[in-house]
Amino acid sequence: MATAGNSNINAKLVLLGDMGAGKSSLVLRFVKGQFLEFQESTIGAAFFSQTLALSDATVKLEIWDTAGQERYHSLAPMYYRGASAAIIAYDITNTESFERAKKWVDELQKQGNPNMVTALAGNKADLEENRKVAAEEAKAYAEVNGLFFMETSAKTAVNVNDIFYEIARRLPRAQPAQNPGGMILTNTPSEIAQSSNCCS
Amino acid sequence: MAANNTDRGTSSFDFDPGPVPAPSRPVDRFGFVKQDQSGSPDELAKCKSVAEQERDGRRIRKWRKMIGVDGSDWKHYVRRKPQVVKRRIRMGIPDCLRGLVWQLISGSRDLLLMNPGVYEQLVIYETSASEMDIIRDISRTFPSHIFFQQRHGLGQRSLYNVLKAYSVYDRDVGYVQGMGFVAGLLLLYMSEEDAFWLVVALLKGAVHAPMEGLYQVGLPLVQQYLFQFEHLVKEYMPQLGEHFSEEMINPSMYGSQWFITVFSYSFPFPLVLRIWDIFLYEGIKIVFQVGLALMRCCHDDLVKLPFEKLVPALRNFPKDTLNPNMLLPLAFSFKVSKHLDELQHEYEKRNKDPIHHEGSTSKSVDHKLLDKSVMKTQSHDIEKPTFTQEKKDQG
Repeated sequence: MATAGNSNINAKLVLLGDMGAGKSSLVLRFVKGQFLEFQESTIGAAFFSQTLALSDATVKLEIWDTAGQERYHSLAPMYYRGASAAIIAYDITNTESFERAKKWVDELQKQGNPNMVTALAGNKADLEENRKVAAEEAKAYAEVNGLFFMETSAKTAVNVNDIFYEIARRLPRAQPAQNPGGMILTNTPSEIAQSSNCCS
Repeated sequence: MAANNTDRGTSSFDFDPGPVPAPSRPVDRFGFVKQDQSGSPDELAKCKSVAEQERDGRRIRKWRKMIGVDGSDWKHYVRRKPQVVKRRIRMGIPDCLRGLVWQLISGSRDLLLMNPGVYEQLVIYETSASEMDIIRDISRTFPSHIFFQQRHGLGQRSLYNVLKAYSVYDRDVGYVQGMGFVAGLLLLYMSEEDAFWLVVALLKGAVHAPMEGLYQVGLPLVQQYLFQFEHLVKEYMPQLGEHFSEEMINPSMYGSQWFITVFSYSFPFPLVLRIWDIFLYEGIKIVFQVGLALMRCCHDDLVKLPFEKLVPALRNFPKDTLNPNMLLPLAFSFKVSKHLDELQHEYEKRNKDPIHHEGSTSKSVDHKLLDKSVMKTQSHDIEKPTFTQEKKDQG
């Protein structure tokens, strides 16, 4: 798939993580370039799509942004089932949110698509003075569990596009080191990518 | 949101002494900071003609007569002329009387009178395991409304108190995301104690079927409502139902928030208020009806859209379809009561029947079991609230 040519890839991406970790803020920063200090709580789930033009492929991400509270857990499988990628977000100023992220990792490893590209996002990296979760700890955890890790800030935009692009880059290359085996991708070569977005 | 004639029923909004509305941030007539200033005249904001003002005045006088002083004539009037009441409510409760009428039709006023001091106790003396969750959501509930914008302002404090009190009152349910929008909406029209009892009346079922199942573990009532809604779409709009199946659209992708917040989340406020008028009097049925009306309005577009365009279309309906005077009459044209009963029985049967149980371990919750008899408070010395208001049944 790394050949020149333009393959079109549709991929479903799901955001999981504790309430208030900044899942919606990450997506809004990525899709609309916006940030709201007080982002309305997500009830149920929200949906976005974004097309990314890479050098070797056009990747269209269908993004499900889920409600973070534990009580909504029963709705989550519908969104991660069949997903080719996931971003599990936690808040670096909140230890519990990191614990919750680990639970999501476990759940995806048990229930999710085995070839899923999974990213761990330590969000709110701009709040360094309130940090409770060390970057090294999260990085080590991510390595052990075959995730890629970035600290992000939806507020300052640091690493936000990067994490989505990194996911997109890992998608077409069906065999990343940690995830041998094929990706399940929907190829729709006939479809012309309608990328009118800022990130293309 | 003018004050009505009771001290408790007065909108908390009127009390707010905080330094809130900055002149540079114009708000609409409901108190939301205006998002787009461009063109699109807000019909409701237009100056009313003299004839319209007179008509409004007559309407308010009729309503005042119907209600009596502080609601004293209400029950009598409803018993004598239920159809008149229903018709007037469907036309919209005058905004200056809304807070009081909502408390009368929901049965919450009775709960309040029967349980003096209970709310205060819940707020002041009890602690809740949900406190951190509530705090995390407080500034994320109606963030564009001036009443809730000020950090630790009256709006945020009232919202916190109501949600905390409920999470203590029913520790099994606690606090669930979505409740804040319900409580927040109520707080724009009544005091926090009144809002609390209205939440109790809804979730415990003072007049209609209890709704606590929307928020219990596993969200059992959300699941049931979505099952019912999906079948109603198939029944009334078979082509669209078929298209949803082909595109693998699950009703949860667009509808869970409709039910969890009774449309109070991300719909235009004038429509939200009209839906709530009807919802409190006629019950959850109106949420199904409005959902069907939205589908009907956009039917011809929706059946053509592929998944990735369908989902956004179902979460963001065109502005002109959201005009209450157009949408609600269409909503009433769907006679769903009987279908809803049948679908509820079918849902309950499926959940009890092991054949349909493959892979599902979720317990089925019979929502009839959640009726008044199991109503409980878990707080030791809080008296068990009682209901006196008889059940209404408007078919």
